[in-house]
Amino acid sequence: MKITVKAFATFREVMDMQVELELPAGATVRTLLSELAARYTGLDTLMFSAPDTLRDFVNILKNGRNIHFLAGLDTPLDGGDMIALFPPAAGG
Amino acid sequence: MNRQAFEEDSPLPAYPPDSRFLRQIPLFGKEGQKKLADARILLAGAGGLGSAIATYLSAAGVGYIRIVDEDVVERSNLNRQILYHEQDIGVCKVEAAEKTIHALNSDVEVDAVCRHIDEKSVNDLVSGMDLILDGMDNFTARYVLNRACLDAKIPFIHGAVNGFYGQVTTLVPGVTPCLRCIVPTTPTWEKNAIIGVTCGAIGSIEASEAVKYLTGTGKLLENRLLLWDGLRGECESIKIVNSPDCNDCGFSEDEPDSRRSSQ
Repeated sequence: MKITVKAFATFREVMDMQVELELPAGATVRTLLSELAARYTGLDTLMFSAPDTLRDFVNILKNGRNIHFLAGLDTPLDGGDMIALFPPAAGG
Repeated sequence: MNRQAFEEDSPLPAYPPDSRFLRQIPLFGKEGQKKLADARILLAGAGGLGSAIATYLSAAGVGYIRIVDEDVVERSNLNRQILYHEQDIGVCKVEAAEKTIHALNSDVEVDAVCRHIDEKSVNDLVSGMDLILDGMDNFTARYVLNRACLDAKIPFIHGAVNGFYGQVTTLVPGVTPCLRCIVPTTPTWEKNAIIGVTCGAIGSIEASEAVKYLTGTGKLLENRLLLWDGLRGECESIKIVNSPDCNDCGFSEDEPDSRRSSQ
C-alpha cells in the first residue's frame, strides 16, 4: 500500500520534504519510521531519544489527527494515508 | 471607538475627513472598518510575534487591544521585537508597547497589562474579548489560554516561531481542533534561535486572520495548519482534525456540544 509522508521544519534537514513509500499490509507508524530511518541517515537520532521513545517535539499526524490520540507508534496505516512529521515551533 | 473611519457618515462632520483607512476600506467596506473599530482583542505576549501583530492591527484600526506581558525590554530583544527601541531597554514591555502603538494610531485603546498568564489570571484576561491572539513563547501558557478560550468560546489564533520556521492556525471552539489536539505535549528545543523576519511573517499571518475574522472577510485558516519554511521559501497548509479523546476539548464531530468541560 502507498503512504505519503510530508516532513516539515527541522525534519527537512535530514530528509526529503515529501516521500512516497510502498509498505506491506498491516504496517504501522513504527514500520513507517523504520523504513524512513533506513533511508535517511540521522533521522532516527532526530526522532527518538531511546528505542520506542519519540522526542517530545515529534508530532505525527495521520490524515490530520495526532497519533498521540490513536495508538501511538502502533497506529495502523491504510493505503492512501498522508502522514505529516511536524515539529512544532514554540517561540514567540 | 475609533472615530476616523466614520466621519463621512456623520451628519455633522466635526473633523476633516481622515484618509487613514482609505486604501483598505475597499476590502471590507465601512461596515468592516467599523467592526475593526468596535473589536476588543487580547494579545497574549508582547515579543516578536506580538510586535508584528500589535503593529498591523493598530495600523488597521482595531479599537481595543489588551496587551499582556510580564517582561522588561532587553537589548537581545531588539533583533525582532519591533515595538521597542534602544531607549526602551529596562522598561516594562507593555508600557513601551502602548507608546509605540499610540505613536502609530492614537485612537487605539490600549490596556497594557504587566502580568503572568496562568490559571489564576487567565479568566480576567480573556473576559470581554472577541478574539485572542497568540504571541507567547511557551506551550505552558498557550495551554492555559487554549483551555480558557474553549471555556469562554472565544476563537484563538495560534502562532509560534523557531528559527526560520513557524506555524499558524485559527482555532474556533466547536468548529476546529484545539491546540492540545494537534500538539498534545510541550515541545522542548535545545536551540532557541530566532530572527525578526520569521516573527514578521507569522505575526502578519496571525494579524491577517484577525482582520478576516473580525470583518467577516475571506476564508479562515480553520482546520488547517499553515507551516512556514522561511529557510527554503516554502509554505504549505495541511489538514488537521480534532481528537475526540483530547483532554482539553474532547468534542466529537457528531456532537459539537459534547465538550467534556461543559458536562
